[in-house]
Parts: sequence; structure tokens; C-alpha cells
Amino acid sequence: MRVSDIFSSSRQTLSGNRMRTSLTMLGIIIGISSVILISSIGQGAVAFITEELSTFGTNFFSINPGEDPLTALAGTSKPITIGDAEALEESDISNIEYIVPFGWSSSEVSGNEEKIKSLIYGMPSHSETMLKPEMIYGEFISEIDDDNQNRVAVLGIDVADELFGENTNPVGESIRIDDTRFKVIGVSKSKGALTARFFDTVVNIPLSTMTTYITGNDEIIEIDISVVNENLIDQTIEDVEIFLRDHRGIEGEEKSDFFMQSFKDALSTIQTVTNLLTLAIAAISGISLIVGGVGVMNIMLVTVTERTKEIGLLKAIGAKDRDILIQFLIEAITLSLIGGIIGIILGLSGAFAISQFAGIPFVISPLVVILAVGMSSLVGIIFGLYPANKAAKLNPIDALRYE
Amino acid sequence: MKNKAPLIELRDLEKTYFSPGGDYTALKGINLKIKSGEFVALMGPSGSGKSTLMHIIGALDIPTKGKYLLKGKDIGKYTSDQLAGIRNKEIGFVFQTFNLLPRTTVFANVEKPLIYADVPKQQRVKRAMDSIAKVGLTDKAQNLSNHISGGQIQRVAIARALVMNPNILLADEPTGNLDTQTAKEIMVFIRKLNNQGHTIVLITHEKEIANYAKRIIKLRDGKIESDKPHKQKKYASK
Repeated sequence: MRVSDIFSSSRQTLSGNRMRTSLTMLGIIIGISSVILISSIGQGAVAFITEELSTFGTNFFSINPGEDPLTALAGTSKPITIGDAEALEESDISNIEYIVPFGWSSSEVSGNEEKIKSLIYGMPSHSETMLKPEMIYGEFISEIDDDNQNRVAVLGIDVADELFGENTNPVGESIRIDDTRFKVIGVSKSKGALTARFFDTVVNIPLSTMTTYITGNDEIIEIDISVVNENLIDQTIEDVEIFLRDHRGIEGEEKSDFFMQSFKDALSTIQTVTNLLTLAIAAISGISLIVGGVGVMNIMLVTVTERTKEIGLLKAIGAKDRDILIQFLIEAITLSLIGGIIGIILGLSGAFAISQFAGIPFVISPLVVILAVGMSSLVGIIFGLYPANKAAKLNPIDALRYE
Repeated sequence: MKNKAPLIELRDLEKTYFSPGGDYTALKGINLKIKSGEFVALMGPSGSGKSTLMHIIGALDIPTKGKYLLKGKDIGKYTSDQLAGIRNKEIGFVFQTFNLLPRTTVFANVEKPLIYADVPKQQRVKRAMDSIAKVGLTDKAQNLSNHISGGQIQRVAIARALVMNPNILLADEPTGNLDTQTAKEIMVFIRKLNNQGHTIVLITHEKEIANYAKRIIKLRDGKIESDKPHKQKKYASK
């Protein structure tokens, strides 16, 4: 029996019972489309992070108080201070480009008869060079502001919108942070999502002004350090740790009361987690594919029983066991494959819609698509083989007599 | 014709069905020769073994003992694939019910045996259409099998049975589901095929139908009870 004849025969059978055919496909469609959807979104997220990475470079690391990120959250560790940053500034550690200490406060901000709670960052003027905010209106903090502890504020775009309304230039207006009056000198926006926490939803003021007027002490939340060359980052981290341990009086085997994290490490952690999550969810979706396969097998078994007489007739007019086996197998594979292709189309459409909504790149991985097609044919073969074999092995007399 | 080996020769044929509840011997030593061009009716009450005999003659089943020589070859030991080949090329079946594939056209039904014989598409179309023309259903060729009458279904079954030019036309109660008039038409048609030289083996329990044959074999309890030539009834078509 020729291949084209087998295909036209299975087409006849499958299109002869559309309702059942589409319901059977549904399982495969759901399985394949979710695998495609999840992996496409996962890869989009990774692509997004990689894109961010290339925008800002990877020559950063940060110093935070606490033994590790968890103890830092508890807030019980010995703070780092402007003194630490100044000591680093004066140290002879090589390869450091910028040292940017950040002060931090959660304060009430009011202006234009609005009052909100916002995060305030104290930043030195040169943080602009390192973090490259986009200035929507006005200017960033200047060196003069640093030196004179000027009460000037750069509003994050979200804060500006909330206080003064969208598309309004608030430069020159005055606001109050807690009870201190500040002059708005600019509105900033982050260039990428990773630095949004510094520029979009916060108010930035000069660090010197913060320690004087807002916090009243020289405790800071973070020191960011950029290195002249990305490749020197690990060496520099080591040098800084040795220096700071000495500066903060930590001896011998004692654990450091601060921790350092490079931008690169953080990003690779995010990437690893995203990839793992994608894989895990895709695997779970894979289970639904197996369920779909069992559905195909179930229907094929019912079909074999229902078509027992037909099989008997085909055998009476000369069909060999192999002819029957191949016909039923092709039917199962066709079901799974068409289901798979519909699933791919649905999955990619869904991924496209979500990527538009979430603002991440839309990624089609040919490998995943090929894998999905392969998987669905495999499901057809595996779950079609048993029913097809059962059909092929039917005794023609029993089949003809079957009522 | 006389010097030729018989088309079908059965020697001491036995068929036993083995089952845990007790074995059952359906055929107990059948000896039978059928020559090319004969029109034989196999008769007998249910349980007489006529269906079993038909299955063996039709290569749907194999005997437990004895020999089945088809054109001088013992097919009793053939594999299932070889038997499928015999059914495809040597035997044309017409059953009582479920002759045609559902949701399939008349043409596709008649074409099926040619597909299993690997006949190229162009030849298939010609041969299938010729066969359909023989039974006078050319205008119904593209109709679905469930959209034609009972008499037409049997005629399509005959067209399919003839499409491979088989040596034997095996008809198992071909008129069992038809009204008297249509049954008569089908039988007249089968007799006409015999007159054209086709060998016919007809299984029936109706005397009326058996009367069309030239030889009537009666079976009882797995043995041949009688085997007589029969003068065909002249049908005055009114």
C-alpha cells in the first residue's frame, strides 16, 4: 500500500468524524501550546535581561550591610557609612572608576497640595555618570549642590506624575520632604528596567543634604563601585573586601558584616532562575501532553472497537496486518501532528500577545518549534501503536462476525 | 476442462475450535472438488458447518487437519500475509451485511482491493470504473455508500468482488437482507456472471436462492450430507 493512499484513507476517516477528531486533538493542542507559550515567554524574559545587561554594562558591584542579602533584610547589621565610602575613595585600590554611596530614607513627600509616601535616595552628583538616567526635565544634582548641601530634588517620573500630573514640568516648584522644603530641579527616568528603582519611583537629593536634613547621621544603604574593566571585577571585589574588613576592624576568621554583589552575578542569577522556571513549567506542560496522548490512545482504542467490522472487511478484501497497522498508526500520528501544529500557532500567538503586554521581546525558538512537532508525532506513534497493533491483529472472521 | 486440476479441492478437511470450555469440531472430514466455472450452493442449517467451510474456502481461516488445494496449491499452511494475498487476488467476497465502508464513496469502495494489490492510480480508476459499469452503477460512483439502496449496496459489493478478476466469487447469504424482488434481481445477476464464466460459491439456507445454482451441496453436523447437480430453475421474469 502506497503512502499517499494511506494518507488519503486516514484523511477520509478523520474528516468523516470531525467532532471526535477535534476533541481528540484538543489535548494535544493544549499540551503543545502551553509548552510553546511558556518557553517562548521564558526566552523572551532572558533576552530582556540580556538586553538590559548590554545597555548598562556589567562593570558594577555593590556593597551592602549584613552578612548576606537575608541578614540585610533583617536590618540588624552594623550599618555602612559615608566614612567607609570616603576611606575607599582615599585607598590605593587600583582599577576603581567611580565610588557612589547611597543614602536612603522613606519619607513623606508633599507638593502641589498632594502628599505621598516615597523612597528618598541621597546620591552624589557623579552617580549620574555611572547610572545614566534620562532627564525628562531640568538637570540632575550638580557638584555645587553636593558641596553646599543644597536642598534640591530630582523627582522620579512616577513621583512627578503623581504630585504634579502627567506631562507637567515641575522644575522650579517647591516640595516638602518630611518637614524640609526642597526645590525641584529635574525629573528623571531610568533608561532600563534594572535601574528603575533608582530613578522612576523615587526622589533623589544630594547625599550631603540627606545626612544633614533628613537622616541626621552618616549611615548609608549601599555603595556602588564601577571598575575600569569588567574582567577586573572579581579582583577588585577581593581588594575592596580586604580593605573594608581592615577598615571596619574585622579580624581573622570572623565573617564580614557586609556583602558584595556584582551586577553580573545578580543578572546571571536572574537568568538561571528564569531558565529553571521556564524548564520546570515547560516540563509540567509536557505532562499535559502525555495526558493528551492518553486521550489519543483512548479514542483510537474506541475507534478500533467501533471499526472492528470495517477491519474485518478490509482484511477480507486483501488488507495485510501491516496495512491495517500503518493505517491506524497514521491516523493517530495525523491527529497528534495537526493538534501539534495548531498548538504551535496558538502558543506563539499567546506568547506574542503576552510579550506585547509585558514589554519583553517576542522570541521564537526554532528548536522549541521543531521539538514540539517532534514531540507531537512521537505522542502519536507511542500512543497510536497499541491500538493500531490491536487492530492489525484482529482475526478477520471474528471481526466480520462482530456485532 | 476435464484434464485440468480442480479449482478447489478439499481433502479430509477438519476444523476444530479449541476453547477452555471444551473443543468443538465444526467440520469432520470434508472431501470436495469444485471446478472452474461451477455455480455451487452450500446449504445447511445453522451449526451444520457451512460458515466454517466458507471461511476456509475464502482463506479467512485455516483447517486444523486435511488439505485445502487452491489451483493445486496447499494454502492450509499459508501465513496470514499470504492468505491476505489469496483473498485479495483469488477470491471476491459478497457478504450479507456490512459490505461497504461507511462514509466512503462507491468508487473508493470498489477501488480498495486494487490499492492493497499496489495497482497504480491510473489503472485503478479505469478498472474500478469498468467494474462499477458492469453492475450498472456508473452514475452512482461518487455517491456515499450510505446514500444508496440495499440492492445497490449488494451490486457495489459484487463490483468490488470482481475488480481483481478473482477465480472465485464467494457470496455469503448475499440476499439475506433484501426484499424478494431485489433478491431476485441480484440472483439473476449472479447467474449471469456464472454464465460469463465466473465460478460462484453461494452460501445460503434458503431453498429459493439455492435453486439458482447448478450444484447443491448440503451439510449437516460438519459432514457433507448430499452433493447433487441441480437443474437451474428457469425464471420467467414477468
